[in-house]
Amino acid sequence: MADKLVADKHLRYILNLMAEKKKESFESVVMDHLRMNGAYWGLTTLSLLDKLGSVSEDEVVSWVMTCQHESGGFAGNTGHDPHVLYTLSAVQILALFDKLNILDVEKVSNYIAGLQNEDGSFSGDIWGEVDTRFSYIAICCLSILKCLDKINVKKAVDYIVSCKNLDGGFGCSPGAESHAGQIFCCVGALAITGNLHRVDKDLLGWWLCERQDYESGGLNGRPEKLPDVCYSWWVLSSLIMIDRVHWIEKAKLVKFILDSQDMDNGGISDRPSYTVDIFHTYFGVAGLSLLEYPGVKTIDPAYALPVHVINRILFTK
Amino acid sequence: MKQGPCSEEDCFSLLKQFEHVLESDPLIDEVGFIHPSQFIMLDEEASSSNVYQNEVQPNNGTSRKFWNKDHKLGISTDILVQLCKYAKHVFLLALDEYKCHGNISCSPCTPESEVMKHSQAVLLLSSDFGTAWNARKLILSKKDQLSAFTEELRLSGLILSNSPKSESTWSHRRWIIKMISQRFSTPQEIITKESELVESIGERSKMNYRAWYHRCWLVSYMEIEQVIQELNKSKRWAGLHVADSSCFHYRRRLMLKILESLYVKGGNAYDKSEARKIWKEELDWNKELVERYVGREALWLHRRFLSLNWIMYFACNDSDVSPEPGESIIINEEIAIFIDNEIQLLESSMTVPDTKFEDFQAQALHAAVYMLWLTKKMPELWRMLEEKLGTEKVKCVMSTIALERPSLLHHLVNV
Repeated sequence: MADKLVADKHLRYILNLMAEKKKESFESVVMDHLRMNGAYWGLTTLSLLDKLGSVSEDEVVSWVMTCQHESGGFAGNTGHDPHVLYTLSAVQILALFDKLNILDVEKVSNYIAGLQNEDGSFSGDIWGEVDTRFSYIAICCLSILKCLDKINVKKAVDYIVSCKNLDGGFGCSPGAESHAGQIFCCVGALAITGNLHRVDKDLLGWWLCERQDYESGGLNGRPEKLPDVCYSWWVLSSLIMIDRVHWIEKAKLVKFILDSQDMDNGGISDRPSYTVDIFHTYFGVAGLSLLEYPGVKTIDPAYALPVHVINRILFTK
Repeated sequence: MKQGPCSEEDCFSLLKQFEHVLESDPLIDEVGFIHPSQFIMLDEEASSSNVYQNEVQPNNGTSRKFWNKDHKLGISTDILVQLCKYAKHVFLLALDEYKCHGNISCSPCTPESEVMKHSQAVLLLSSDFGTAWNARKLILSKKDQLSAFTEELRLSGLILSNSPKSESTWSHRRWIIKMISQRFSTPQEIITKESELVESIGERSKMNYRAWYHRCWLVSYMEIEQVIQELNKSKRWAGLHVADSSCFHYRRRLMLKILESLYVKGGNAYDKSEARKIWKEELDWNKELVERYVGREALWLHRRFLSLNWIMYFACNDSDVSPEPGESIIINEEIAIFIDNEIQLLESSMTVPDTKFEDFQAQALHAAVYMLWLTKKMPELWRMLEEKLGTEKVKCVMSTIALERPSLLHHLVNV
C-alpha cells in the first residue's frame, strides 16, 4: 500500500542503472541493443521529476552521437545497425538537453523520409518491416525537427486510417488486432498532423475505457489481458488526445501506479510486485504526469516529452 | 543473475563448444536455458534410457555447460552473461571484417561463414539483437537457393522455441517469406506451416501479440480456399482457448477476407450464399460457447463483430454493392428476427442465478455492453430494445453497465 510517489528513490534507481557500465546481469546484456530507448526512458523520467541536472549532459550527448550511422539514422548502441526506433529516442534525448542544434537535421530527416513507402506506410529500416509505430515515429521525429514537409503527409495519414478496425482501435497494419500501444501511435500521429477528426472518438474512447480493471484500477492493453502500468501511458495519452480521459476512473489508476512502486529500492513494476525496470518506471511516472500528480512535470501526450521541452522547440525558429 | 568475469580463453572455449554443438546437430528443434543443477537430473534421465547422443564433453574436467540430446539443446544459466557478451563481440568483429574485405579468404572459414556462425550463436542467446539478424539478411539476399531460406526458417523457429515473443525474429521470418515469394513462388505449404507454427507457439505463449499478428499477416498470401480451410482447421483450437482474444481476432481477420472477396469484380467474387452459411455457423457456434463459458469477454467481443457484419452484409436486402459506412440500416424482417434473438440472448444472460459467482455477473455485464455497443453502431436498435424489453428491463440493463462502466453511458442521448 503506497500513498505517495517516492521520487527520490526512483531518482537513485535510475542513476544507478545509468552508471552500470560493466553489465553484470543477463537482462542488461540482452537489452544493450536498445540502450538508446532505455536512455530516453530514464532521462525523460528524470526530467519529469525535475532532476535532469543529475546526469552529465556531455557524456550522454556524446554517447548518443556515437550511435549515429552514416545513413543518418541512429542505432540502439554504438556500432549497431540504425533503426527508426532508436532514431526517435536519440532526437528526443537531444531535445531534453536542448541540443537539437548539434544535429545535421538534413541527414536525419532524409534517413526517415527515405523509409516512407508507396502506400504511405513507413518501414523501420532498410529491411522493410512495416508497422504503424514507425509511422508515428517518422511523424513525431520530423515534427520535432520541423521537416514534416519531407514526407507525403496525406498518404501517411490515409495509411494510418486504413488500419482502423471495426472496434474503433488500430493495429500494426490493416486488419491487425487493436492494441493500446499501436492506438497511441496512430492517434499521436493523427494529432501531430492535425487529423484527429479521422478518429471515431466515441468508439475509440469506448474501447480504451474498457481497458480499466474494475478491481485494481489498472489498465490493460487489450481484452482479456492483465492490467500493466505501461498502459497507463498508452491508454491515457490516447484518451487525452481524443478528449475522453474523463471516461476512466483516475483516482483508481493513480493508486494502481503508486502500488506498483518498489518503496525501498525505487523503480516501478508492471503491477504491484517487486520486479521493477526502467521501462515501467518511465511509463508509471509519465502516467502520473498525465493524471496531474503533484511534483511531476507536465508531459505532452503526443510527443511523449515534457511540455516545457516541446514549447521550447515550437517557439524556436 | 550476476556472474563473475571470464578470461578470454575461457570465453573462447565456451563459444567454440557452443558452436560445435550447433554444427554437429543440425536438427536441433528446441533450445532453453537451464540451471546447472538440472544437468544432473537430465543426465540421469538420459542414462536411464541408455542412449547418449552428441554428448558434449568438457575440456579439462570442468562442469558441463551444454546439454544436447534428442535434438534438444540446454545452455547452463551460469555462463549466459560471458557467452553472450563474448559472442556479440566476436560477431561484430566478423561483421566488420565481412563488410570491409568482402568474402575473400585464404582459409576455409570465409568471412561470410564466420558471420553466419557467430550470428547464429548470438541470436540463440539474445534473439532481439537486430544487427545480427540484419547481417544474415545481408548475406542471404545474395543467395539464390531456396534451401538457404528454408534453413533460415528452421533457425528462427528454433529461436522462437525459447523466445516466442521476440519481435525481431518474427520480423525476420516475414522477410524470408517475402524473399521466397519474390524469388521463387509461394508454395501454399509454407504458409500452412507458418500458420501451424503460430498455433503451436500460441499453446505455450498465450495471447502472444507478435505471434498472432504474424498469422494475420499470412492471410494476405492466402487464396480464398485456403482462408476457409484455415477457418475450419483453427476452430477446434479456438474452442479450447476461449479466453484467447487474439485467436478470435485471427478468425475475424479470416472472415473479413471472406467479406472482401464478395465484392471482387470481374466474376471472381466468392459465392455469397456460401459466405452466408459460414457466417451463420460462426454465429451459432459463438452462441454455444457464450452459453457454455459464462462471462468470457473474448467471446462477447467476437459476437459484436459477427452480429454487426451479419446485419450489414447478409441480413440486409441482397445487394452486390458493399454498404457505405455510416449509412442508416433499414430494419427488414430478417434483421428484426435476428435482433429479436439477440435480445433473448441478452435476457437469458442477465439472469444471474447466484451473485456469489463473478462469472455470472461478468456475463450480465458483457451481454449488456454487447447490446449497448450494437445500439451505438445502429441507433435504430433502441426502439426495438425498448419495445421488446420494456422500460424497466432496459433500466436494469443500463444499471448493470453503470456499476462497472459508467462512462459508456456518457454519450447516450436518449437514455
